[in-house]
Amino acid sequence: MNSDKDIVFIDDLNVKFGKKRVVKNVSLSVKPGEIIGVFGISGAGKTTMIRVLTCQINKKHWTGNVKITGISPEKKKNHPKILSKIGYVPQLEELNLYYDFKPVANIDTFASTYGVPVKKAKKIAENLFTILDIPEDTWKKKLAKMSGGEKKRVSMALGLIHQPDILFLDEPTTGVDAYKRYSILSYLKKLNRELGTTMFIISHDMECSLVCDKAAIMRNGELLEFGKPVDLIASLPSNGTIATFTIEGISKKKIELIKEFKPVVNIIRAGNDVIEILIDNYEKNISKLIEFMLEKKIKINEMSRETATFRRYFQIRVQREEEKERTK
Amino acid sequence: MMKKKEGKEKKKAIQKHKASFFRFLKQIKKEFKLLWTDKFNILLALVLPPAIILLIAFTATASSEINPVDCIVISYDSNSFINPNNLTESFEANYTLPYVQAVNQSIYLNPIEPESLFYNASEEIYAMDKARDYLKAGIISIIIVLPIDFSEMLFLGMPGMIECIVDGSNMLKIQDNLNAVLDSVKIFTSENNLTPQFVFQEIEVLSIPSNFNSAFNSIVVFILPLFSFGLAMVLTILVVVKEKPIARLLLTPVQRFEILLSKYVTYSTILSIQTALIIGTSLFQGLYCVGNLLDLFIAMFMLGFTGVGLGLFVSCFSKTKTEANQFFFMFFIVIIVLSGLFIPIDAMPLYLRIFAWILPLSHANPMIMGILTKGNSVFGFDFYWLVGIGTFLFISSFIIFQRKQYEA
Repeated sequence: MNSDKDIVFIDDLNVKFGKKRVVKNVSLSVKPGEIIGVFGISGAGKTTMIRVLTCQINKKHWTGNVKITGISPEKKKNHPKILSKIGYVPQLEELNLYYDFKPVANIDTFASTYGVPVKKAKKIAENLFTILDIPEDTWKKKLAKMSGGEKKRVSMALGLIHQPDILFLDEPTTGVDAYKRYSILSYLKKLNRELGTTMFIISHDMECSLVCDKAAIMRNGELLEFGKPVDLIASLPSNGTIATFTIEGISKKKIELIKEFKPVVNIIRAGNDVIEILIDNYEKNISKLIEFMLEKKIKINEMSRETATFRRYFQIRVQREEEKERTK
Repeated sequence: MMKKKEGKEKKKAIQKHKASFFRFLKQIKKEFKLLWTDKFNILLALVLPPAIILLIAFTATASSEINPVDCIVISYDSNSFINPNNLTESFEANYTLPYVQAVNQSIYLNPIEPESLFYNASEEIYAMDKARDYLKAGIISIIIVLPIDFSEMLFLGMPGMIECIVDGSNMLKIQDNLNAVLDSVKIFTSENNLTPQFVFQEIEVLSIPSNFNSAFNSIVVFILPLFSFGLAMVLTILVVVKEKPIARLLLTPVQRFEILLSKYVTYSTILSIQTALIIGTSLFQGLYCVGNLLDLFIAMFMLGFTGVGLGLFVSCFSKTKTEANQFFFMFFIVIIVLSGLFIPIDAMPLYLRIFAWILPLSHANPMIMGILTKGNSVFGFDFYWLVGIGTFLFISSFIIFQRKQYEA
């Protein structure tokens, strides 16, 4: 890690509210232009970490060495400098947009807070609206009359109106249908590619990992993993190859029986009669596993071979952590 | 080297202030835009007050059309006088009947029928009891009493006196009833050549002259402070609490004081226009103002400013719109009840009196009434008290807004 070259540098970050430690010993660094996904279930500490980076938490609550674009949020006098270099897209558009204004008026309001001249803001907005496919006829329409997807895209444009170095996005895909989710993610990738903006996506929607260069997994305030999603998946036994079985009348007892087969690393219930099994040395052990299951009179209806997705990786990683805690 | 560094720092500071001023102006622009998009607020701020003044004027004009006051005259007049030269009693002076004739002639008085309008108390010993029963029953609105020495005083060239017992259940009509009696006295004095003995002050001290609409003026005196304070509060009570994007604005270099100050500037500007409109419409409809109009404007603006201050103060510490609305009702009702408009402050228990004297309306009412009816200057204790309250609310709202937690 190099605190000068990294656009975001976090070393041993701890956040405490009263006696409760919300973020514990988090360290990570981000290179310019990367898209970082911060994943975790509710209460994992991901939003708190981002709130430190966006100068929303008073220094008395946190310790550690944090730098954003080379500036530390430790001192209050640095906040305006940091805030002028970062953009933020909240989860709820109503927190970001004046619904009674047209997009242009929203742009004017927010651009002025960064001191961006009106003409320049208009030019930047036109470019952003074009990238984000916001039709020209809607530019002069009140936000209140726009669709949810359009509002989301205007919200993203607002976050980028002052051409920030980093854009923070809080749950950008929450509450939108599958089609819109992919379209939002593709717009984010497009913005990143065309503008080179570093992005921080906070989400519990694992689909976001599709556009992330790196993913951070958090649980109970701790950073469990930080790396490329592909590398994280590949770190699983057998490079993340999973055996999926449909078994008649699956029960806890049957799962415990399968676990007795030593190369089995993880078993995940993926449906009523479906389990996914992660084993060491897949090629060598899969046939032995089937024999073992038949020996134990476990009736297999169907079997297939799959590669783990980031969602599965997240599930396995968190499950492993829970088991570790249980055995403690 | 040092000088160069100092110069650079100075330049930086100027640039910082310039940027802050630019952001502040843009925030004001945003506030006006927000206000403009909420048409109901515009209606409330600028259309409703003059419209209500016009409505009051219309109804007051309708009610001030000559509507004779039902009355009874009771005379206790002895119709005699003691001759100062020989101290003998004479019966030459009789001013009772000429006065009753004047009552008959007045278009503002209506002696009731079929009962006699006139009772001679020496003949009708229950005249006053009967008249009081009529007054209680609402058959008449005024009892005109001629005292025992009515004729004697006039005959001796001394001021004559008439007593009036007025139905006080409708405060707004007391002035009209007294004006009606005054009309009968005018007729009486001119017909009987008694003018030198009755010196009429056409502009009666602390009362509304007869050529002004007394009903309208009586209502307006009460309404003006309520309008200034109430509307200012209504307009600002939700301004901070309902603006959700403030959370996002705070993640930009904009400062909290720039956001709140822009709200104060915007709503104070609206308040100035509103005050001018209210005063203008009231004057157009016949507002009687003894004092200086600029004083009236300053008084109403200052009162309105405390309303803006209280509105923004409540809006800053409320967590939800519902909470702000509840606080609004709580504050507004307490302030109105303890304003002295309905219950005289002096009649309150001591602890309430102290509490009432802290509140803005209790100072605004005497101040505005003083300007309107007594021609007082605005710059008195009440005004400085309002300035104090306004300043306190202004500073408090900034402190609360500075500490308000926002999560984007």
